[in-house]
Amino acid sequence: MSAAPLLEVAGLSCRFGGLVALNEVSLAVREGEIFGLIGPNGAGKTTLFNVISALTPPSSGRVLWRGQAITRSRPDQLSRLGLARTFQNLRLFDSLSVRDNVLVGLHRFAASPLAAGLLGSSKVRRRQRELEQRALELLALVGLAEEAQLPAASLPYGERRRLELARALATEPRLLLLDEPAAGMNPAEKNDLCELIRAIRDHFDLTVMIIEHHVPLMMRLCDRLAVLNFGERIALGTPEVVRHDSKVIEAYLGSPR
Amino acid sequence: MSAGLLQQMLIGALLGLSVYLPLRCGQLSLATPGFFAIGGTVAALLSTRIPAFAGTGATSPLPALLLEMGLGGLLAALLAWAIGGTVLRLRGIYLAIATIALVEILRVITLNLPFTGGALGIFGIPQPFATASGYAGFTLVLLALVCWLCARLEQLRLGRAMAAIRDDELAATCVGIDTAAVKLNAFVLSALLAGLTGALAAHFLNSWNAKVGSFDASITTLAFVVFGGSRTWLGPVIGGLVLTALPELLRPVGDLRLIVFGLVILLGPVLFPQGLITPQALQGLGHGLVGLGQQLRGYGHQLLERANGPRRP
Repeated sequence: MSAAPLLEVAGLSCRFGGLVALNEVSLAVREGEIFGLIGPNGAGKTTLFNVISALTPPSSGRVLWRGQAITRSRPDQLSRLGLARTFQNLRLFDSLSVRDNVLVGLHRFAASPLAAGLLGSSKVRRRQRELEQRALELLALVGLAEEAQLPAASLPYGERRRLELARALATEPRLLLLDEPAAGMNPAEKNDLCELIRAIRDHFDLTVMIIEHHVPLMMRLCDRLAVLNFGERIALGTPEVVRHDSKVIEAYLGSPR
Repeated sequence: MSAGLLQQMLIGALLGLSVYLPLRCGQLSLATPGFFAIGGTVAALLSTRIPAFAGTGATSPLPALLLEMGLGGLLAALLAWAIGGTVLRLRGIYLAIATIALVEILRVITLNLPFTGGALGIFGIPQPFATASGYAGFTLVLLALVCWLCARLEQLRLGRAMAAIRDDELAATCVGIDTAAVKLNAFVLSALLAGLTGALAAHFLNSWNAKVGSFDASITTLAFVVFGGSRTWLGPVIGGLVLTALPELLRPVGDLRLIVFGLVILLGPVLFPQGLITPQALQGLGHGLVGLGQQLRGYGHQLLERANGPRRP
């Protein structure tokens, strides 16, 4: 293994008033793996994602990106480093078309001097066409090529999830955080999503960190898992190790009386 | 309709666009009249105090007007850039209140500075155009240019980023948009546009005083955008044109005119919550025109057939 892990969380705590959402959580995500995060409702999974993506400041502890502290960065700076995420309760740009949602994801690659852009120089127009082509490729990858011109607000739920994924991929991430991507899907759709996530990981050669409630799916999908309960990391390891961990069984099933 | 009214309508449209630019990224800024006043004051001072700008007699040369518009816009843009970083951290109604305060501060400063003429203001601003039609022609060209630039902007990275911030600022920052920078850009462009419009308006109105940039003007310019629609550049243009013209066109109604005007402003948002002009409405209009064209072509063919009929053996 190379020197520093892609992402490391060290002694991270996050308190909201008296509520301890995260308590001294530490874990490391290695390049190329699919890393799962499971735990009962309110365990702090989404809070951990929010702290990693700089939306919520931690009370103490550090987040490291390839060994460098990123705790004080802004979300857009992290995006440029290669961090992308989706949201548990979908956050699309509803007034924009499906294609434009992905084009916004390509923001970083569309830089041009404002004057040249306004005047529509041939170079700018060619670049614009390349980006539109790229957006359509990404939409095709998630199966939304036909819907490119529709307003994002008009998509049904499952397609909105896939659009959010395409938008996140447009930023060319190294690490993709997926917050309950399978929520509200039936078992067949969940299986398809599983395949899609694996395909994306292999195709883009990226690292995935995923929150999901469906434990059997996570056991199949993930290389390693961390289990959170009441803000504490109670287990960490391969699915096999986590499955037999007594604390995990207790958290999910209760302790034997 | 007189050319003078047309000129006022065109200035209204330009100010509507100035309010629209920050609103496109969800920033409710009411600072437009403040920047408008700055541009006008710059033009009024330059052309009445500095002989090179004044020209001969009551006329002033066109290059001087263009230079004043540039300087007025630039000064407004500089001020926007200087305060934008701080002010734009506020959201929604708080930003609106802060920008109202800015307009008031500028008004009081203009009122009390030793060289801006106090409450009476500055008089006898020289005229680059002999007639109102001259002004209207020049402003029409300017408005067309600004509209074209706004339409281009909406297709560009910056315009898309602005719309993304309006829809969901948090998601926008997560896909790598420096939201603070984009909002500042929009604010500075808005100030630039209001400033150069002010310089033009000062010449047209012939006199300029602190009352031009007031809270009332903030609300009026906001009404342009609310009435016309804030989704695309055409909305504020239509809003600015219509709402500036309406009080004048309603003169025949007599004393009722302000009541009718008030009713229009009230009913506009009730009947068209998104404003008169929305992208969907434009699309519908486009389809409608295509349909109308096809229908007309059909009639044309029928007419031709009828006309050709008798020639048949």
